[in-house]
Amino acid sequence: MLGLSLVGPGLFLVPQAQAAGDRALGEYLSTTCVSCHRPDGQSAEGIPSIIGWPSDQFVAVLKAYRDKTREHQIMNSLTSSLSDADMDALAEYFGSLSRK
Amino acid sequence: MSINRRQVIRGGVGFGALALAAPAVIGQAKPRAVVIGGGPGGATAAKYIAKDSQGAIDVVLVEPTREFTTCFHSNLYLGGYRDFASITHGYDKLVPYGVRLNHQLANTIDRDKKEVVLADGSRLPYDRLVVSPGIDLKYDSVPGWGQEFEETMPHAWKAGPQTQLLKRRLDAVPDGGLIVMVAPPNPYRCPPGPYERASMMLHVLKSTGRTKAKIIIVDPKENFSKQALFQEGWEKYYPGMIEWIGPKIHDGIKSVDPKTNTVVTGFETYKDAALVNVIPAQTAGKIALNAGLANQTGFCPINPENMKSAQDANIFILGDACIAGDMPKSAFSANSQAKVAAMMVRGDLTGARTFPARYANTCWSLIETDDAVKVGGAYEPKDGKIAAASTFISQTGETADVRKQTQAENMAWYSAFVTDVFA
Repeated sequence: MLGLSLVGPGLFLVPQAQAAGDRALGEYLSTTCVSCHRPDGQSAEGIPSIIGWPSDQFVAVLKAYRDKTREHQIMNSLTSSLSDADMDALAEYFGSLSRK
Repeated sequence: MSINRRQVIRGGVGFGALALAAPAVIGQAKPRAVVIGGGPGGATAAKYIAKDSQGAIDVVLVEPTREFTTCFHSNLYLGGYRDFASITHGYDKLVPYGVRLNHQLANTIDRDKKEVVLADGSRLPYDRLVVSPGIDLKYDSVPGWGQEFEETMPHAWKAGPQTQLLKRRLDAVPDGGLIVMVAPPNPYRCPPGPYERASMMLHVLKSTGRTKAKIIIVDPKENFSKQALFQEGWEKYYPGMIEWIGPKIHDGIKSVDPKTNTVVTGFETYKDAALVNVIPAQTAGKIALNAGLANQTGFCPINPENMKSAQDANIFILGDACIAGDMPKSAFSANSQAKVAAMMVRGDLTGARTFPARYANTCWSLIETDDAVKVGGAYEPKDGKIAAASTFISQTGETADVRKQTQAENMAWYSAFVTDVFA
């Protein structure tokens, strides 16, 4: 699913739906995540794959880390400064990736 | 395509591939980014500039070596947890992204002409330059030591043959032998590194039955990274085998004598050591110093909003060479900074959309098999520096399960991280 579409003469990107995250923002924010989580979907014991998740589940997990109802030192730290819009953007980006 | 800059701005979102908004490159076929240094900072920057600009920027990575041995996890090689090949990586996988490799030493930066002068005298013009040279060692910072003695008293603070030498020397230490580590003053590459190294040496000594061997760490610092965690682990696993001595006790590192393997402090003289590991004071790589990018500290001030040099808006400085505020000098930091810089380079050269800088770091350290600890945080520009927004550190007294999980995370991180940097 892509939340952005080309309109008009191909000049502008316009959000298609309010619920969808800003993919470009998500792609930038994702660069922090991929220092540990491989974007090709491969994973090893200790760090799970985070690609291709349903958006609502992805956001729910990030919010649980931010709220510290789910504990992990690194994830609690990294999510502490993420806004809801940041989380939507990350969900949009990682949700669009498929395993290679 | 008929489009002008005004239309792009009015539309609110510019296409990354449209170079029209970038004054630096008007009238030029393709904007040029040159990256000096193929470590985790430079290789990441080159990859991300090329990958995300999709051919719109000419990217050259200048790195004299064809393979890079990572300092991170080189202690695990020392400890026997990794083989040397597993911490050594080539650059070939960067080429398909559009990175051109130039395996020469970059000698100097001609900032007026915006050119990098290579070892063979040729010049590489740039519109934006990324400088990620890592550290240089201050060979005169420990009296009696110097570059001519780095085989006798290895530093192993740049990974490669020195790392292998240190392992050979460690393997030759007899039971009852003395190892003296001269630890570095702040600031230096990899703050927990010396103490993880000591842990790995202890692991090797203990696991090979050399429990009468001893390590003395002579440290110019009052305290060190993860101190409580390391000292707890040393007491638990290696009692009587290690002694850390701070400056209040040793009263200064007076000199070393490579001919007699002696280390002299104000408090005591350690003679006939089986191994002396001198980790000296450090500066930014000399190309950054020679280009006038460093200040009196020997490291390079940057703009925390974008990783640009405080001295030159056409130059970005990454990793160990820069003054990154609250971020430690680590590969993870360099990689994080490189992604901010890569985005800003694309913003400058193609008008690509940019976002406020965010940074992250985590450093894992192994103390004994299945017992690892970590420290890290999230960082943002604030008050003129890169400031910690949120930090964390492992706790003393954690369960064995937690420590084992932390080590699994450490190994998984390495795999993902070198993929992010080199593949």
